[in-house]
Amino acid sequence: MKTYVDAAALEDIKRRFPAVEYSGEEAKPAVYISADELIALLKFLRDEMGFTRMENLTAVDYKTYFEMVYHLFAWKTADTCKDSADENLWITVKVKLDHENPEIPSVTSVFSGSEFEEREVYDLMGINITGHPDLRRILLWEGFPGHPLRKDYKQIAPPFVERITRRGH
Amino acid sequence: MAGTETYTLNMGPQHPSTHGVLRVQLELDGENIISATPIMGYLHRGVEKMLENRTYVQGVPYTDRLDYVSSMNNNFGYCRAVEELAGIEVPERAEYIRVIVAELNRIASHLVFIGSLAIDLGASTGMLYTFRDREEILDLFNLVCGARMTFHYIRIGGVNRDVQPEFIEKTYKFLEHVPEFMEEYKKILLGNEIFMSRLKGISKLSQETALSHNMTGPNIRATGIPYDIRKVDGYSVYPKFDFNVVTGKNGDNWDRFNVRYNEIFESAKIVKQALDGLPEGPFMAKVPKVLRPPKGEVFSRTEGTRGELGFYIVSDGSTKPYRVHIRRPSFVNMQGLNDMCKGYLIGDSVAAFSAIDPLMGEVDC
Repeated sequence: MKTYVDAAALEDIKRRFPAVEYSGEEAKPAVYISADELIALLKFLRDEMGFTRMENLTAVDYKTYFEMVYHLFAWKTADTCKDSADENLWITVKVKLDHENPEIPSVTSVFSGSEFEEREVYDLMGINITGHPDLRRILLWEGFPGHPLRKDYKQIAPPFVERITRRGH
Repeated sequence: MAGTETYTLNMGPQHPSTHGVLRVQLELDGENIISATPIMGYLHRGVEKMLENRTYVQGVPYTDRLDYVSSMNNNFGYCRAVEELAGIEVPERAEYIRVIVAELNRIASHLVFIGSLAIDLGASTGMLYTFRDREEILDLFNLVCGARMTFHYIRIGGVNRDVQPEFIEKTYKFLEHVPEFMEEYKKILLGNEIFMSRLKGISKLSQETALSHNMTGPNIRATGIPYDIRKVDGYSVYPKFDFNVVTGKNGDNWDRFNVRYNEIFESAKIVKQALDGLPEGPFMAKVPKVLRPPKGEVFSRTEGTRGELGFYIVSDGSTKPYRVHIRRPSFVNMQGLNDMCKGYLIGDSVAAFSAIDPLMGEVDC
């Protein structure tokens, strides 16, 4: 089963980053951080707490705000774990973004493997990612109107094409 | 002295060896590749958006169409995520049946890989042989769920229907057949000098590079990192079975081929053990007619045939998911394509696409 970070580790993070918010009650706690401190937090998690894998990166539109979601995983192998009872750990990092002008720094400087996923978020959710090495739309073409995964997205009606019928019908 | 300049060549989207509709922009210096940029989206249907407008149960057949060569594994991943969200306990017999069909599908998918790699390298006989044997698995699935490609067999809470004695009997027969046809492939492909020289030492990735591209599945195991979610997470009933994680050493195409080749044996081992230990009992949990998972979110992952398949589902307490995000292994693995092509010849790029084994239905989602 999945094990999430415990309260002691969360307090540790809180000590390093006082701006961090979390709810200790939940079984799967998520760490909320501001966009400015995101990179520093991820660096800390990777280098000092062993969260070396960015398993999933996505964004959710909550109508009044956006939320970036990062799922990090610490894989304890024979090489990396000091104590054999060490378990694989999960942590969720979330960033709330303004709905009008969403902008977030790219995490590719810390986890270079999230390049395509960030492009996907930019393409489908319309969140501007600053400092990304190659920020282009990935699934849709340049010039596509709107961002389909937003909740307020309205599909443009397809062009009306008159039906070709046989003469007299 | 005459200078040279590079030029751009589009491979695809109609190229027969790009496995569907992948377009790769190659920057070439003569015949040497300087960079390869994958351009995708030709098969983008917006599955994530479609799932938002359908109930949880209606979402299952859409996952069939992601990675249409291994639909069972996708059903499995999605159903596990919804079950975790709604707190549904799955009966043991159902878990066993799920593992059986998922592993059979893994064999079928790897057979397609071997066949398409062979045909991409010019050995069209290889494809005929592997598709002949894949047919047997499709017939088994046809028996158990009535479909040959998009199964929609694994449901939320269990499986659609129980397996018949005929299925079990025929699966045993198929398992006996596995070493026979693998021996045949060995004779056709593994000892073939052209096949070897096209794969050995080509598209090498070091462990650091593969990790930095966040690759998963056979692609990362080929570099020697034993990252297999079946072992790492130990989900479902996998911890009860004895199987090895196959790893390579050099991280070249030859290792990617060998990892998948040997994984077929491991999958067959799991199916054998699961069939032997198949418990009696119900095959479906009690699932409410109208499924309303509590408010919350879940990220659940399984080992798909191409790597780590994850589902992130946000529920707002209604019958439809608020947001579904699918972490598709082929999509993330595509990041490694540039490093796999750089410095090699155009002909090797074909082997590189094939060795990543992307499925465009999954990449474009």
